[in-house]
Amino acid sequence: MSLFLASFGFGLVTAAVLAIAAVGFTMQFAVTDVLNLAYGAVMIASAFVAYALNQAGVNVWVGMLAAAAAGAVGSVLLNTGIYTPFQRRGSAPITMVIVSLGMTLIIEFGLQAIVGGTNVSYTMSQGPTVKAGGLILTTVQLVIIGLAVVVMAAVHGLLRYTKLGKAMRATAANRSLARNCGIRTDRVVTLTWALTGVLCGIAGTVFAMNNGSFGATSADLFLVVILAAVFLGGPGQAYGAMVGAVIIGLATEISAAYITPSYKDVIAFLVLLIVMAVRPGGVLGATA
Amino acid sequence: MSSAQLFYVINLLIYAGVDIIACLGLSQQFGVAGVTNFGFIIFQAAGAYTAAILSLPNQSANGAFQSYIGGWNLPWPIPWIGAMIVGGLLALPFTFLVGRRLRGDFAAVGLLVTAVMANLLVTNYRPLLNGAAGLSLVPAPLQSKYNPLSAGYQWLYAAVTLVLAAAVFLLVRRVTESPYGRSLRAMRDNDIVADSLGKNLLSLRAAILVLGGALAALSGAILVGFINTWAPSAWGYAETIVLFAAVIIGGAGNHWGAVLGAILVPVGFEEATRYIPTFGPPGLVDDLQWVAIGLLIVVFLWFRPQGVLPERRRRIGAGAPPEPVEIPNEDVVTLAGSLRAPGLADAMGQDGSAVRVTGRPITRSVPSSVEADGGVVLRTVDVTRDFGGVHAVAGVSIEVRRGTLTGLIGPNGAGKSTLLAMLAGTMPVTSGQVIYAGADVTSVPAYRRARLGLVRTFQLASEFKRLTVMENLLSAVPVNRGDSLAGALRGRRYWRPDEEAAIARARALLDRFGLSGYADTYAGDLSGGQRRLTEIMRALMTEPTMLLLDEPMAGVHPRLARQIGAQLLGLCAEGMTILMVEHELAIMDEFCDPVIVMAEGTVLATGTMAALRARTEVVEAYLVG
Repeated sequence: MSLFLASFGFGLVTAAVLAIAAVGFTMQFAVTDVLNLAYGAVMIASAFVAYALNQAGVNVWVGMLAAAAAGAVGSVLLNTGIYTPFQRRGSAPITMVIVSLGMTLIIEFGLQAIVGGTNVSYTMSQGPTVKAGGLILTTVQLVIIGLAVVVMAAVHGLLRYTKLGKAMRATAANRSLARNCGIRTDRVVTLTWALTGVLCGIAGTVFAMNNGSFGATSADLFLVVILAAVFLGGPGQAYGAMVGAVIIGLATEISAAYITPSYKDVIAFLVLLIVMAVRPGGVLGATA
Repeated sequence: MSSAQLFYVINLLIYAGVDIIACLGLSQQFGVAGVTNFGFIIFQAAGAYTAAILSLPNQSANGAFQSYIGGWNLPWPIPWIGAMIVGGLLALPFTFLVGRRLRGDFAAVGLLVTAVMANLLVTNYRPLLNGAAGLSLVPAPLQSKYNPLSAGYQWLYAAVTLVLAAAVFLLVRRVTESPYGRSLRAMRDNDIVADSLGKNLLSLRAAILVLGGALAALSGAILVGFINTWAPSAWGYAETIVLFAAVIIGGAGNHWGAVLGAILVPVGFEEATRYIPTFGPPGLVDDLQWVAIGLLIVVFLWFRPQGVLPERRRRIGAGAPPEPVEIPNEDVVTLAGSLRAPGLADAMGQDGSAVRVTGRPITRSVPSSVEADGGVVLRTVDVTRDFGGVHAVAGVSIEVRRGTLTGLIGPNGAGKSTLLAMLAGTMPVTSGQVIYAGADVTSVPAYRRARLGLVRTFQLASEFKRLTVMENLLSAVPVNRGDSLAGALRGRRYWRPDEEAAIARARALLDRFGLSGYADTYAGDLSGGQRRLTEIMRALMTEPTMLLLDEPMAGVHPRLARQIGAQLLGLCAEGMTILMVEHELAIMDEFCDPVIVMAEGTVLATGTMAALRARTEVVEAYLVG
């Protein structure tokens, strides 16, 4: 039982990291219809921004803010500099995926050329261990979970109660119709990429913290897990991604405890393929 | 040359042959059939592993320092043949990803993820294929008889590799340049339309995955026989991207482009960087190489998406005068023949010859069940389609009689196109029945309805853009011996008679519709009106019993619209049945009888236009609008 509870705790932390990442990914897809496979690369690049500051003596949580800013800048540049020009030309979705793969190589290995091929870690304290209801978590892990809850609440508030959120949902539903209704869709799209870039930067930093050590290509496998959460919730569905993240996060960590850690991502992979084969529109049927 | 230089040259030749085979397989999938297989490298790996475990002796007999399944110690060429079989079979489970339902980019991501996971599994699970360390001491072919280190053996190995590459080239060319290859390219350009013309997308994609998989596996088998080792690090998911870069840069869909790409990217590029003096920390040159591959892909897709050697245009033309054809901007195309004025008598043709095209009726014979059903070719019973909570079509029951040009009108959002899609099978019904020629076809997929003679056109232009007008027409021919993988492999001689008959029919249609001069023009380069004509001609090439036309005259010059109308009446006089969605009431007045009026998902009224104009509710709903 304690094995189950321990893995459940790890699952919650993974779900928290995953939720932040998956919501950003799925909202990018919602407004621009691009499966941005370079998302993981931007995550890790942002995490390295926090690392650079951390090395200079800055607290890693402050570094995370810089990573969030870097993620926003990087994502906006990626969209306005690369994806939008291709889409204006009428490139097919499949071309966009190939472009995003090319950008993945450029960002990841460009980063690796700068930071080198060895893994690094943040200098940070894990804080005292906290026991609650049979769960044993470090302070950092609790903070990550809390951060995810705050971020999800913020996304919910944005989508439900703000004009921008409404404009984002309208743009996601039908871009040309939204434009005809007087929504400045180009600006909405750019703002969406900035905000999801913030999520991407935060996700990269907490992913790096949770992983312990990380390198330029560490997010490759995590991208598979993100995709599984996104597709489980239905591509483009922010709330679906949240639920998908919780399910995938718990499933991977709990299965890791009972099978073997090397194969934990296989669960995510199987979920992804089954969802694609059976219900490509998403299983949860949530509407964002 | 010193022996080291010699070895280097041999090495290059073998790598070139291996990469050419792989790129040809990938180009066949990506460039010709439009199947983006981001998991391509899995198949090369499967081939290499299969060849390895077929040729290796049992693990305990091999020093027992590596663990692997199999170890059958089989002589060449069995390991290579086995590799191809395994590579082909391995493709079958992937077909569910590239079937009809999943968006192409989603399927591509699914395949990419599969490649990542397959690598992870093989790396972590040692008993299967020796895990991360991989297999080594893989025997070279026939090494018990010859010395694999001798120059003669190595030259022979290179020669065999290149001969196989040439054979693969001829094989893929034979497939691509056949009617079957044309079907593949039609699917690539627009899969939904190909489906509606009777192409079985699932079987086309499955076949091309199997073919490409077998070729990838062969390349892996050849490689492992030469380098004698194979490990997960050799087939990371990114290796697929290198091959994609090669195909994109060389020219997707052009076989010489695949050859060029293979020589430029995996061979040339990686070899060229060997001569860069090592600088910076270890691994830096490798990293920059990957950055360069990424840049090459993005830059080429932006500046030259068709590649260095673009797909070439197939000229099967109508013996027309050599190009250039000037393409007018306006849609004024005069129809040829005796059909200059609208009206049934003219459409029939003055000597009655217009009703037949090279001796074959355009319409196939109508099943006797139609006669039994009072001449009703198509009927629906309470057909309904819901989108979320919206009833786009709510309980529609209509009948379309043989030989009529039935009109379907209604305001925007009345459900006309949705109804048409359900009749053709492009969209499933929520409830209700579709009965065609006396048989319930409600659950029959679109491509099979098309084969039964129920063929639709689309509201939005749906030509196959990178096929010429002639190829667009030929792609719709239902029976051609070359339109199957087996038929294509038997070569041109086998299918030439069918092809020539089809070309003759297409030429007659082009003459009839006045587009002979455009036979060799890419359909994507036509004007709007010409595209509509091409689409109608293409539908006629299927020899339909019944046509479902979705606004065939939208955006067409009024004069041409009336000529199209006259043509359609002529077809009906020959026995064809047509159901046509149209907004232009003048067209309805002149050509359609009866006319069905739809509003808000239901049928409001049916009758002649004259009768309909007398009914107030119809007039209110639509006619005055």
